[in-house]
Amino acid sequence: MDNVTKARINLFAILRNIEDLCEMDPVSKDLIKDVKLGVEFNVPEVGSAVLTFADGKCKFTRGKGKSALKLYFTSPEHFNNLIAPPIDAKTGKPKMVIPIFYNVFKAGFLLNQFTKLAERLSYYLQPAPDKKDELLKDPDYFYANTVLTAYTAFYAMSEIANSDFVGKAIAKRMPDGVIACEVNGGPAMNITVKNHKFVTNKGKVAEPRATMVFGDMQFAHDLLNGKTSSFTGMGTGQFQVKGYVEMLEQMAKLLTQVSIYLA
Amino acid sequence: MNLQYSPKKIYDVSKSQEAFKRALKVVPAGIYGHLGPSEGCMIPVSSYPLFMSKAKGAYFWDIDGNKFIDYMCAYGPNFLGYNDPDVDAAAIEQLKKGNCATLTSDLLIDFAEEMVDTINMADWAFFAKNGGDATNFAVMIARAYTHRKKIVLVKGYYHGVSPWMQKLGYAGVTEEDIANNLYIDWNAPDQFEKLIKKYPGQIAALIATPYFHPTFVDNQLPPEGYWQKMRKLCDDNGIVLIFDDVRAGFRIDIKGSDYHYGIKSDISCFCKAIANGYNVSAVCGQEKLKNATSDIMYTGSYWLSAVPFAAGIATIKKAKATNAVEENKKKGIILTEGLKEVAKDNGFDLRVTGEPSMFYLRLGNDYPSTIMHQEWVAECVKRGVFFTSHHNHFINAALTQEDMQYTWEVADEAYKVVKKNHPDAKYI
Repeated sequence: MDNVTKARINLFAILRNIEDLCEMDPVSKDLIKDVKLGVEFNVPEVGSAVLTFADGKCKFTRGKGKSALKLYFTSPEHFNNLIAPPIDAKTGKPKMVIPIFYNVFKAGFLLNQFTKLAERLSYYLQPAPDKKDELLKDPDYFYANTVLTAYTAFYAMSEIANSDFVGKAIAKRMPDGVIACEVNGGPAMNITVKNHKFVTNKGKVAEPRATMVFGDMQFAHDLLNGKTSSFTGMGTGQFQVKGYVEMLEQMAKLLTQVSIYLA
Repeated sequence: MNLQYSPKKIYDVSKSQEAFKRALKVVPAGIYGHLGPSEGCMIPVSSYPLFMSKAKGAYFWDIDGNKFIDYMCAYGPNFLGYNDPDVDAAAIEQLKKGNCATLTSDLLIDFAEEMVDTINMADWAFFAKNGGDATNFAVMIARAYTHRKKIVLVKGYYHGVSPWMQKLGYAGVTEEDIANNLYIDWNAPDQFEKLIKKYPGQIAALIATPYFHPTFVDNQLPPEGYWQKMRKLCDDNGIVLIFDDVRAGFRIDIKGSDYHYGIKSDISCFCKAIANGYNVSAVCGQEKLKNATSDIMYTGSYWLSAVPFAAGIATIKKAKATNAVEENKKKGIILTEGLKEVAKDNGFDLRVTGEPSMFYLRLGNDYPSTIMHQEWVAECVKRGVFFTSHHNHFINAALTQEDMQYTWEVADEAYKVVKKNHPDAKYI
């Protein structure tokens, strides 16, 4: 596991979930309803991304873009600490991580709405172990948790394939093509592989080289949370694959690497 | 092809599916490995039998009572036909005398002599259980003999499942496990030469299959002069040439695939066909390697069991007497030519690659997805012809002309189903 790959995952897989969070979570939706602002994140060795808040919605864009608030981090580790702050040994509380920012007049968003959005994201992605089972009984929570986990996993997978040492070794064995992933009754994603470089996107594609379909949200949830295995799902028919299966085999190995980074 | 037949029965595999649910409770993945629905690419799994009740000749029956013409042959071990009466008789006779005891049977010598007499390159033979035991040992021998660490493998290889044989990113495999592996492409002597220059005096062995037969891609035979070039590079640089003949052994040439392609390997590994399904593998080597081999501690609880030795001897004798290797090749050609014709009649472009008795099938129509080919394979399986979509197939000596005729009829019906499901696909 390396800090650059972790920062890429944090920026392009985890942070990008705020876009979907603001769609699915009423609390988040309310938080941004009057916000009109672009926030640009800049991380050395990793790249940039912009969260654009307007008209009660949030849009995540890879790369630099129109933004009134620009945040600069000194290193991938610095950014990683923003997403998962280290615990202060003296106080036992998470340390405050402050990025270098441009436009002090917009800093209030960072300290208020953004902090609350981050808390909402954690609420869905990393529920407290003692509350998790109870929360998952709520169908809306279960849906949001599963969708956000799926997006995180598949976006993180591409970052690992493009950056991590083991991930790149797996990617080197991956032929060109588009893989379609879909959860029956849930989201669809696609992964384009060209010259061993991966790009994840949301949505269906017309002519994938290989497809994987999760039978339902429950199976997707169980698989993404390590409660079942893809081999088991293929045997029971809950995990349906077809097309150029070699691509899916390599992808499964990448998803295993995702679980190491997100553990 | 003029085919006249009644519609085939669609098999019900519900007992297999029920049994699989039971298996999942007590067996990881239900059925692990290449016979399982995942590694076996059984897509969709609802079309496939998962457990067999019996096997005989060219067929197996599943636990639902369905009979299948089996073109996977247990992924190779079925060579003369399941439960071949002569092989079984030899095995049963030995079983009555004794199998696994404190002393080994002198059948060990008989079997080794039979292998040495049969395999052109062999001066000695060593027996284990699985193909992976043999390839693993072959690499140990090469290292012991050369006092070198590095091993050259051909990308797309499969030599078993020991950690060093697997790849970075595979579950349970560490970077250190594969630290001494070097890789070249198939049919790339120039890449081998470059590695030899880059790692002078460090390469212990080149391990390769006789021809390129990985999963999911067209198989490739060695071009003229390929193995001679590789042999010379090994000779000139003190590198042990290991032929992994586990899959192709006795399917290309009874004297060994290296002999068929015009060279002598230093070590050849055999398994699958050599005892027609009884559990034994063999490492055969040249004289120069015998002392190094003798010094290696390598054994297993059942490696010197007598029953598989008896089966192996009987298998080789019968294969020679019936000219099984050549006959299987002929059957492979007849079968695949017929399949191509049936495919063409239906507008499909069936590509057949590899050696005839180990043919690999794919469609040209659905490249690069293979989705239509997978559907065709599933439709064939549902009608009692067991193919796979990802792996080469195998011919066994019990396969009859009637079996091939039935196969063509099923293939025809299956192509018609696929065509109906994909009216807008590209057809020839």
